[in-house]
Amino acid sequence: MPDSAAAPQASLSTLYRDHRSWLESWLRRRLGDSWEAADLAQDTFVRVLAAQHTQTLPSLREPRAYLLTVGKRLLVNHYQRRSLERAYLEALANLPQALAPSPEQRWLLLETLHALDELLDGLPRAVRQAFLWSQLEGIDYSTIGERLGVSERTVKRYMAKAYEHCLLVDL
Amino acid sequence: MSAQVDAQARQLAREAAHWLTLCDAGELDAERAAALAQWRGRSTAHEALWQKAEALRQRFAAVPAPLAVACLDRPQLDRRKLLGQALALGALAPLAWFGYQQLPMQRWRADLHTATGERRTLQLADGSRLQLNTASAVNLEVGEGLARVQLLEGEIALDSLGPVQVSLPQGLAVATRASFCVRLQAQGCLVSVSQGHVSLQPLRGAPVQLQSGQQALLSSSGVGPTRAFDAQLPGWRQGLLIVDNQPLGDFLRELDRYRPGLLRWDPLLERLAVTGTFQLDDSERILALLAASLPLEVHYRSRYWVSLTPRKKLA
Repeated sequence: MPDSAAAPQASLSTLYRDHRSWLESWLRRRLGDSWEAADLAQDTFVRVLAAQHTQTLPSLREPRAYLLTVGKRLLVNHYQRRSLERAYLEALANLPQALAPSPEQRWLLLETLHALDELLDGLPRAVRQAFLWSQLEGIDYSTIGERLGVSERTVKRYMAKAYEHCLLVDL
Repeated sequence: MSAQVDAQARQLAREAAHWLTLCDAGELDAERAAALAQWRGRSTAHEALWQKAEALRQRFAAVPAPLAVACLDRPQLDRRKLLGQALALGALAPLAWFGYQQLPMQRWRADLHTATGERRTLQLADGSRLQLNTASAVNLEVGEGLARVQLLEGEIALDSLGPVQVSLPQGLAVATRASFCVRLQAQGCLVSVSQGHVSLQPLRGAPVQLQSGQQALLSSSGVGPTRAFDAQLPGWRQGLLIVDNQPLGDFLRELDRYRPGLLRWDPLLERLAVTGTFQLDDSERILALLAASLPLEVHYRSRYWVSLTPRKKLA
């Protein structure tokens, strides 16, 4: 058993040594920021390390393709998180003082919003909007249909699609 | 994901989604309600999924609607653009974008303004110098023999060579040849003179003449007591933040003015004392210096979201 336990570690350190700086410069070209690129490259390897506990490292014949797949996913997540934070700060700034959450609530709220944001990821804009209006503001289907310029039946279809999507994601 | 979810789970989710839309649309009459109860009772998987749906709805119900809609209904990113060869614009200049987004309308319409963390220096026609500190806005009117500055937000410094008039919500600050700073605060406007003299003319009450090395608060009820300050000490005009034995809370509130995003700290840290000379242009480094000299830790949730907590004792 010691052999099989040591093997993936050896291959991971090889992976790290051979491709880290390449991955980092790939990320840097997209982020325009070497600090964040270094962080994301690091995260990518952490993911790969975590993944090999549950599965063997796939296709090490194409290590760069594999790293890119993981890296791209993290990059998109990173952008999404950042755009959410911006929208959040902007929304907070526009909120009347009396309604503004306390600093402690703000952080918790951002975490919740991030989780919901990930949950809805991948849904078409109109489906997402219909679902948000219905869930967050309790707007009825016919009003949503008017807002979106579609029939109530279509709204129902959108909603069913959104529910199905969310129920299939692990909460 | 679609490949991994088996057909059975998908079918169950579809059925649950159908029931949920019927509930939302108010189309769940007694007969359908009974049918739903029966559906839930078919297996533990059915019931578990229904519980999951309930939990899902509660999660959305628990967030404040206006805030959540603004955040979650923002325009979505274009993945192909993000991952393509070209740098996304947003990726190029997050900081500039940030300042721009946080600008209130008033600052937009002003003649001159600075974003959070930015400072600007301007030479007026008569050779006078106007400096804008972080997150500041002014209207400017340079006429025959008189420069008029209206301070809308933030803080400015003036080295005037000729007559200058600064109009403030609470009155006027008038000088001929003087160097002085004016800072808008919640309680009023703090005027500090480092050279020459400045006349404060409140909307109500008697005018007050400030000499070099004096400062006073101009408020809606008049001019507050005159106090002495060290006019020789460099400050934001030199890009420095110099403090001597200042409570950390006050220091961080000051630093916060120069940082886009959110900076928060544990109330336990409020009374720690800070002494030092810090470069305002590198607030990241200031935080690192604090962590090195005080018993605290700096946590970056992101570059724009930083929290300071007491350092954990080593076990």
